[in-house]
Amino acid sequence: MKKILLMSLMLMFTLLHGALAQTRTVSGRVTDQKTGEGLPGVTVLVKATTNGISTNANGSFSLTVPESGATLVFSSVGMATQERAVGSESVINVVLAQDTRELSEVVVTALGIEKDTRSLGYSTQQIKAEQISQKSEPNVLSSLQGKVAGVNITTASGLPGASTNINIRGITSLQNTNQPLFVVDGIPISNDLDRSLGGAGLGSLGAAQTSNRALDIDPETIASINILKGPAAAALYGSRAAAGAVIITTKNGSSANKKLEVTATSSFNVQNVYGLARLQSDYGQGSNGVITTTGGLGDIYTANSAASFGPRFGTAPTLANGLQLTDGSLLPYQSYPDNIKNFYRQGTIFTNGVNIAGGNADQNATLSVNNTKQDGITKNSDLNRTNVLLGANIKLINKLRVGGSVNFVQTDQTGILQGNGGSAFAILSNRVSRSLNLQGNPYIDPVTNANIYFPGVENPYFSITQNPTTSSLTRFINVGNLSYDVLPWLRVDYRAGLDTYTDRRKQIFAIGSQRQPTGQVQDQVFYRSEFNSDLIVTAKKDNIFLDGLNASLLVGQNVNQRRFQTIASQADNLTLPGYYNAANGSVFSNGTGESNSLRRILGVYSQLTLGYNNYLFLELTGRADQSTTLPTANRTFFYPSATASFVFTDAFKISSDIFSYGKLRANASKVGRDADPYLLKTTYNSASQGNNVSSINFPFTTANGTYPGFAISSIIGSSTLTPEFTKSYEVGTNLGFFNNRLSFDVTYFYTRSENQILPVTVAASTGFNARIANVGRLDNKGFEGLMNITPVKTSAFRWDITANFTRIKNEVVSIDEGVTSASINGSAFIGSVPSFKVGQPYGVIIGNALPRVPATDPTTGRANDPSLVGKYIINPATGTFDTGISNSVIANPNPLWSGGLTNTFNYRGIELSFLVDAKYGGELLSFTNASLKSTGNLYETGIDRDQSRIIPGVIRNADGTFRPNNIQIDAQTYWGASGGLQSQLNVYDATAYRLREVSLGYSLPTGLLEHTPFGQVRVSVSGRNLYYYAPNANFDPDQNTQGAGNIRGLEVQGAPNTRNYGVNLRFTL
Amino acid sequence: MKNKKLIGMTLAATVALSSVSCNRDKFLDTNTTPNNPTAVTMPVLLTSTIINTAFMATNDLGRTGALLTQQYAGIANQPATYDVYILRGSFDNQWNFELYGGTLINSQTLIDLSVTKSSPAYGGIAKLLKAYNYAVVTDLYGDVPYSQALQGNANLHPRYDKQEDIYKGNSGLGIVGLIDLVKDGLADLDKPSLSKPGAADDPVYGKFANNVAQWKKMGNTLLLKLANTISKKEPALAAAIINQYAAGAITTNAEDFDILFGSATGNQNPLYNYNFVTRPDDQMLSQTLLTAMATRNDPRLPLYFNTTPGPPANNTATTTTVGTFTGYINGNNAPVPSRVAGNRSRYNTYIRGTSGEAPARLLTNAQRLFILAEAALKLPGITVAGTAQSFYQAAIRASMIKAGVADADVTAYFAANPGEANLSTNTDTALEQIITQKWISWVGTGLEPYNDYRRTTYPRLAPALNASGDDLNIPQRFPYPLSELNANVGAENQNANIRTSVPVWWAN
Repeated sequence: MKKILLMSLMLMFTLLHGALAQTRTVSGRVTDQKTGEGLPGVTVLVKATTNGISTNANGSFSLTVPESGATLVFSSVGMATQERAVGSESVINVVLAQDTRELSEVVVTALGIEKDTRSLGYSTQQIKAEQISQKSEPNVLSSLQGKVAGVNITTASGLPGASTNINIRGITSLQNTNQPLFVVDGIPISNDLDRSLGGAGLGSLGAAQTSNRALDIDPETIASINILKGPAAAALYGSRAAAGAVIITTKNGSSANKKLEVTATSSFNVQNVYGLARLQSDYGQGSNGVITTTGGLGDIYTANSAASFGPRFGTAPTLANGLQLTDGSLLPYQSYPDNIKNFYRQGTIFTNGVNIAGGNADQNATLSVNNTKQDGITKNSDLNRTNVLLGANIKLINKLRVGGSVNFVQTDQTGILQGNGGSAFAILSNRVSRSLNLQGNPYIDPVTNANIYFPGVENPYFSITQNPTTSSLTRFINVGNLSYDVLPWLRVDYRAGLDTYTDRRKQIFAIGSQRQPTGQVQDQVFYRSEFNSDLIVTAKKDNIFLDGLNASLLVGQNVNQRRFQTIASQADNLTLPGYYNAANGSVFSNGTGESNSLRRILGVYSQLTLGYNNYLFLELTGRADQSTTLPTANRTFFYPSATASFVFTDAFKISSDIFSYGKLRANASKVGRDADPYLLKTTYNSASQGNNVSSINFPFTTANGTYPGFAISSIIGSSTLTPEFTKSYEVGTNLGFFNNRLSFDVTYFYTRSENQILPVTVAASTGFNARIANVGRLDNKGFEGLMNITPVKTSAFRWDITANFTRIKNEVVSIDEGVTSASINGSAFIGSVPSFKVGQPYGVIIGNALPRVPATDPTTGRANDPSLVGKYIINPATGTFDTGISNSVIANPNPLWSGGLTNTFNYRGIELSFLVDAKYGGELLSFTNASLKSTGNLYETGIDRDQSRIIPGVIRNADGTFRPNNIQIDAQTYWGASGGLQSQLNVYDATAYRLREVSLGYSLPTGLLEHTPFGQVRVSVSGRNLYYYAPNANFDPDQNTQGAGNIRGLEVQGAPNTRNYGVNLRFTL
Repeated sequence: MKNKKLIGMTLAATVALSSVSCNRDKFLDTNTTPNNPTAVTMPVLLTSTIINTAFMATNDLGRTGALLTQQYAGIANQPATYDVYILRGSFDNQWNFELYGGTLINSQTLIDLSVTKSSPAYGGIAKLLKAYNYAVVTDLYGDVPYSQALQGNANLHPRYDKQEDIYKGNSGLGIVGLIDLVKDGLADLDKPSLSKPGAADDPVYGKFANNVAQWKKMGNTLLLKLANTISKKEPALAAAIINQYAAGAITTNAEDFDILFGSATGNQNPLYNYNFVTRPDDQMLSQTLLTAMATRNDPRLPLYFNTTPGPPANNTATTTTVGTFTGYINGNNAPVPSRVAGNRSRYNTYIRGTSGEAPARLLTNAQRLFILAEAALKLPGITVAGTAQSFYQAAIRASMIKAGVADADVTAYFAANPGEANLSTNTDTALEQIITQKWISWVGTGLEPYNDYRRTTYPRLAPALNASGDDLNIPQRFPYPLSELNANVGAENQNANIRTSVPVWWAN
């Protein structure tokens, strides 16, 4: 079908092109109304044709037009489009004014198609370069925080390159990725997060944080980002954009002119931790008010307790607490109030870049080199990223347009272990008493290189200095494109791209480290390569069938191939300390192996766009994919979308300064998604067993011999898989008032994702733990809104406000027959399992709830006293909480709403901008707080330390009735009872309001620079996370230790967040 | 014009090429995994099932059995929690990955594969392993998915079979019991087999010239164990099985069903890996066992556990005739003796190996003798030659020799401790002696003494201090894992909320 269509199109253009008309040439210059200077890069088109040209560096153009009757259309982004009939003149000069109707700007939509926003039947939001450039944040994803409606972005921590989770319009897939598709200059690129092994199978719970690969894009190379939020917007990208798409356009040279050809940028920022929980400073090491060293006088590290339940500082005895070191010296018993805070250093971020761009719309080239060097908040947390982007676009004399770019990225990262399993961050919260001089004591034995700390515990300094993870990633993103205007109404585009990277990782564990006492070297190589090509034929016809009806038909074909390989080798039982080469190991059978995948998609798609009088638009798309990952019989699937946009102010000729613009839009779409590779058959794998505390691996060597071992996979494959579909409906409106100085963009959406392909949990008694199947349904509905206000606008002063708001309600409607709850793939601790549960929003944490008096007694069936229902049940033997109720939802990580508010003030070249954002609701389970409580380090644990207390609750009598709890317990027991790592008492409301971003910049007046080589000089200061207010948490709850992925709401002892601020300089030549 | 034509033709050709169907099929048929095998051989399933059985028995489940029977004490982390009987919400990994999704499904897979390969030698051993592992499941959990289990997609909601039916079978419900499963396995071992396991793939008996004959002894001993376990409920059936199979059982320590571990990382016995590598501060010797062995002057004490300094450096130590040891009272909150100072008694090399190579000891000659002693004492109609007294002493001797006590020293021990060497004439007291000695012989194998304790209430154990959990007593069963309940909601016969205070069928 597609072939026939194309052939006939080819045929048509060959036949039709014979007709020639009489022509002549007109020339002229386009200038800016504001500055009077020539405007480069303005498109000058003969109306209703594709015959056109761009203005050159000083705004001049020259164009061949028909002898008579031609009309020229002058358009440029941000300027009001003008039309001029060509009479008999041969010189046409035009003055363009800034477009007051900024609501209709040109944005890049799916497949790189540029469209006027007024024609769009779905919501998109464009982020401009200046919104992400020089904002004290080297990670482009993090720099979007709080700026986009419908988008939730959470970083793992403040460590350099920490992974960043981004979800657009909620979670739509139960087990597949919910990260949007990233597209750079029309080419889908990898935003995968390749997790390190981290030793002993801890995975994301214990490995150093590695980045998702959007990190590799330097914010300074970006011209704009357009966020396609719903399936309708991204329908042409097909299955991969079911979670939305982030369309990034890099800078090119098309609009450069003299004095703008070279842009140099330089920034220096410092980074400090903030949001650490407040600690007490009255009590030091010990337990039950005393320090006990079981071996008699001994050193601090042999004392039985690392907790801070010792004597009060200053009370006698102060030196008779057993704090005599093994060398005989006495250690003063005093508070070290900043021993945690001082563990962190001040980080620095240097960014330097130069961007050279020149040319016009027809011929341009760009070379951009940027470097970001970040030394993070601890030793061995570093990032060094270099981007080199070389691109060019040329329109040949024969009208063939060719272009391409090569983007080279080198990202080197050093990271430190995190997580509950003995990382520095865990030890800081559970094994550093208030009287421990952490900074003043040695952490490594100079002779043996052994760890010096409590037995079986790694000194935090030992952890970060001796067990780092390094990653060295080399990436190329190459894009090539060709386009040809076959006929005025027919255009052919071909674009191919290759994104490929190799990430070489090394994780070392020194001999004597806590996780790997015999030492370990893990080498891992990740290789990803994605090839993508699109062949697109576009036909346009104006005034088709009736006057004012413009049609555009696009037919395309897509080939996508993704390769992945990881090779890992692990050497255990190292012989020599300090020599981290696999050759130093003596056991190699653990964790060594390889994993590969290859998947391909062949797609054909079509898009029909109809526009009537520039106020009514209808767009229909359809795409059929063939995927390698589905069973042959089911591997071809089709999905359509329809969108409509109606600018009723134009249609009804409502022309008012008060109500200036009104548009209604609606769409319905369906997007198909294929499976991951290799899910069709049940396979076998290594018969390894166990977890981080004890495990065995094969081949298995005993005194009797070496035995290989394989076992059947715990997942049942499916040969009957069908694609999964997400259906989405969206309605919205764009309204503009007061000449669009006040505008609204409001959207309501509903998505339903059904028959999801997932490894659905099965009862282990079937012999398996999951089966691949099409099951489950997940619904999202929500509102998102965007508001722009320009309250003041004079020639000297301008104040702009941009606000966004998001509210999403997500519900797991069903999983599978007989399955009410299942855990999200990934690493979790038993007792706090991120799950999806029927009737609950996605991602709730399931664990043991504190026992409370139920409405009816489960054994007797009798109703309980209503005044007692909900009170804690206390164990009469201990005075603390009775056994918890397992399988309860203890935390829901989904915020109720979120929003951002940016104010920008411009006064004679001085620009002040600040972004305040809020996330309201959502919960976070904090292991750090749990540890700080049970160790008596948290501030609250020092209050009334010597008083006994009674947990408010009731005790069950033998007859089933309850009596008030009257059992007194001491502070240590009390805090021990509420400090359980997974206790509900350590679930915090994650509501937080913050001053996310501030920047104050000054651009030198152009007049001042007139006689200098500089075109623009701008100096700015910027800051991030300068202030936050979390009413119900004693730390900054805006984090998610496991970073990008479907697991959220867990703070499992990673690094804290950081506050960044610094100075930026930008100048052009 | 020419150019345009050329371009047009090229584009058309590109499209045409990518549409040619045979090429396209080739392009799209890439979904065969290079990462995992889609078929395996019998030897790799056999080795993995055997070794994973050893791991299962010495990892969490065995560890918890040792805590509940107060051989060992939990002093931190999960063991401290289990020690005060908080079991709810734990052991999902054991049920999911070590048992049903581990040894059980793989022994079943091996049974199925052996049929297609006409190799009942493999199938027979697999049935014995399956029966051993199922016994672990039902002994801990009572009624469990059995006859409808291990069927994958064919039965996603397996029924919970009654424990009685799991042991004895129930033809009405189509249940082949464990006893018949073992008999079936033994019968398979007598059949001609196209291929048989040997030294290369039999980590337990491969060293014997006729390893299949040894597996039959293992199977017979397993029948004795099953009979012994249900003997309170089914004395006649137990006696009949013991009479029939005692002669074919393991008769020397060398024939014990011991599964060796290795000394390298990743091959170590969990008793070593957990207690000495990853979690060295979680457990130590229980004062209960220490006192019991100390009062008996038991020469195995220093073989099982390391000695410690005594007072004044270590005030909680216990001085015995065989050295000074330090135990900890189960469930205690008192300060824990310092490990760095060497003040904790922990497993010695007999239990854990010098670097983790000690075997999992799952069916032993001593066990056979203790079973026969108990049968001679208690069961009517036992025809196996020998008295309870003679079996009892032989059992202690077998255990002591296995632990490294010289034969002559055992004789001397009996002479010096007549009260311990001789069974009381009071049947209950004699039973207590037998089971208490059996408990001592099982140090390092936590599951068997937990079964014996629940069946006989011996050894006499006081509940742990600060006991919590479902009630304040030693649990009579494990609570069902949540993951199983969540994915098999309302399965037939399932009693999802059963409390740990309810005894299993054979203990009732």
